[in-house]
Amino acid sequence: MAVIEATDVTMDFGGMKALDRVNITVEKGDTFGFFGPNGAGKTTLIRIMTGQLEPTSGSVRVLGVDVVKEPIRVKELAGIVPEVESPPTYLTAYEYMYFVGKVRNLDDLDGRIEKWLSYFDLESKKGTICKDMSKGMRQKLMLASAFMHEPRLLFLDEPFINLDPIYQKLLREYLEEYVSKGGTVFLCSHILEIAERLCNRLAIVNLGKVALQGRKDELVRGDENLERVFMRAIGGGRIRRPS
Amino acid sequence: MLKEEFRSHASYSGQERFLTFPLFVLVIATVTGLTLDKTLETVSLKQLMEFSHLSAFVYGLSVGTFGLMGRQYLERRYGRSNYLVAMPFILPLSFKTTFLGIYIRDAIFYVVLMLVPATGGLVLSAPVMGFSYVSIGLLFVSVMLTFMLGLSMSFLASVMYVRDKRWFGLFTAGIVALFLLHGALGAIPLEAVLPTLGLQMNVRPFPVDAASALLFAAVSVGEVAVMTILAYALVEVRVSVSTQSYPDLLPRYHEKTGWLKGLTRTLFSKELVDLRRSGTVAKMSFSFVLPLLFLSFTTWFVNYGLAIPIGFNTVFYASMVGFIGVMMYSWLNNIDLAEYYSLIPVTVPQLIKVRVSVFLVLTLGISAFFVAGISVLNDEVRYLWLALLVMFVTSLYMVLVLAYLTGLRTNTFLFDTSILAKFSIMSFLPDVCLVILSFTLTTSWTFALLGLALVLSSMSVTSLIMYRGIESKWGRASFSE
Repeated sequence: MAVIEATDVTMDFGGMKALDRVNITVEKGDTFGFFGPNGAGKTTLIRIMTGQLEPTSGSVRVLGVDVVKEPIRVKELAGIVPEVESPPTYLTAYEYMYFVGKVRNLDDLDGRIEKWLSYFDLESKKGTICKDMSKGMRQKLMLASAFMHEPRLLFLDEPFINLDPIYQKLLREYLEEYVSKGGTVFLCSHILEIAERLCNRLAIVNLGKVALQGRKDELVRGDENLERVFMRAIGGGRIRRPS
Repeated sequence: MLKEEFRSHASYSGQERFLTFPLFVLVIATVTGLTLDKTLETVSLKQLMEFSHLSAFVYGLSVGTFGLMGRQYLERRYGRSNYLVAMPFILPLSFKTTFLGIYIRDAIFYVVLMLVPATGGLVLSAPVMGFSYVSIGLLFVSVMLTFMLGLSMSFLASVMYVRDKRWFGLFTAGIVALFLLHGALGAIPLEAVLPTLGLQMNVRPFPVDAASALLFAAVSVGEVAVMTILAYALVEVRVSVSTQSYPDLLPRYHEKTGWLKGLTRTLFSKELVDLRRSGTVAKMSFSFVLPLLFLSFTTWFVNYGLAIPIGFNTVFYASMVGFIGVMMYSWLNNIDLAEYYSLIPVTVPQLIKVRVSVFLVLTLGISAFFVAGISVLNDEVRYLWLALLVMFVTSLYMVLVLAYLTGLRTNTFLFDTSILAKFSIMSFLPDVCLVILSFTLTTSWTFALLGLALVLSSMSVTSLIMYRGIESKWGRASFSE
């Protein structure tokens, strides 16, 4: 069953095509890695898939919902972690979780908040306002708030950035467990070592077009690794080193 | 930096539309110049000059709030924007240098944005009206100096605020005291507070007194220079690393707002927490109460100072309160970024409507208190019911017009001339009607009442249309800047 179905998605920013007829299908239980160089269109696609941006043309269905027609429904169903961690400046960690929980109308709110703040070791910071948190703490808070309603699908844009190795490992393990229980992950990351261990399917995008897509074990062959596949897909051999 | 400022403003409404803003000022100034004869029948040239200089001073003050805002720029994430002001942290560049750059940038940018086109308008009307180009040139120089006075004063006050709030308090209290000495007690002339006005009054088109003009010019330039050098010398950036722990306000506020339901209740409570923690309530109250006091002083001055018997009554004040308070809505949109809302099931119209409600809750109490106070002072308690009705309808109308036109980006969209023009027309027309009708209350009660009923009904219907229109206009809008 397709959890995400993007068909001919094109995004034109005033003459600059950020995405050009992108087709992607993500099945239930996939950890789908979406990779590409800076400015390739990864964040744009995540924003379209999560109803934050309307595509110029094409269609996207997420968990059976037409994203363009029902963007709010997609946000109800999925958990989203953005590229830039930006929780509200003046709320404490606890209050932000409480706020998200109330917006999502969740039951056992205190139980959920305690569970996720504890999971990300934020209990001692529950009274700290987001403005006073480090980037890593803010990132953990964004992850906790995206996980707290136990969604069936997670959109994660660079989730490992700003996390220390301990929490990178913890997050990776959580995502593995999450997928084993039937969840689906759509992941953008530049940290290819972690992504390679997590993803079962992937797509590599370059200049707004999908250059490569398929099962990881079909694309990464022999003694190759994801980095080499990535370089091959984007023509990385032509990258000039600074002299 | 100039390019950054231009692009930053142009990004809100598009380059072409932003460039029409100075054009808009030019047209207004040309029309003002062409109708100056008529204006001078009711107001003297001296009063017009005082008004121009006071406006330029306030303009300079508001532009120069960078010092206060700058700290927030540095501490607050600014989405994907990264302003040059943050460069000293990553480049071998001192904050003093950046500060000076920003000061010069603001001086040039905002003079070119407003004062140059305003002067241009007078130049255009000069051949028809026979204005002297020398007088226009002298007006430009003196008004620009007034603007610089406000700008440097504001920069210095901001720097003091960052260093030590007591310095800031003393400095601002000193400035306010000077204005009170002139305004309330008449102990000193306005030229003593704004020496640039003294320069203006001693050059053409007024009788020329070169020695006095030179003295006032020297004092003006000296004041600007001293305040700028002091601000430069004292500037310091403190990025606070707070370890403070805060009590959980949100659940408490959520509990207290049981009269609201569902998402509105949650968003409303969250706005209240933002208002309290950011200190915006105090800033908002100050920026609301101050114009109210200014309005009261102006009308008192017109009635008793200038001895012009205009019947400013409670209903007049009530209509003005609604118009004055509206910009408080923009404060609500400037407390924090709203990007995180795009991750949760909330729409832009939902947040706009909640902020309109917060605005009403915050302002109606102060407004009602003010109007009631005026009615008692004027011995017009009999008009109070009408005044409160006028105040409520005007406040609601104005905030809904602004919310409909600008959504969550009030300040920025007001740089779009098409929006500014719509807002001006939509606020000016009912305002004029209400003011005129309020003046006729004492002479023709029935006519005034019927007129007010008609105007208030039209405003209410328009408010309803605007409220409903928010959904269709902003339904697809993004929370991102």
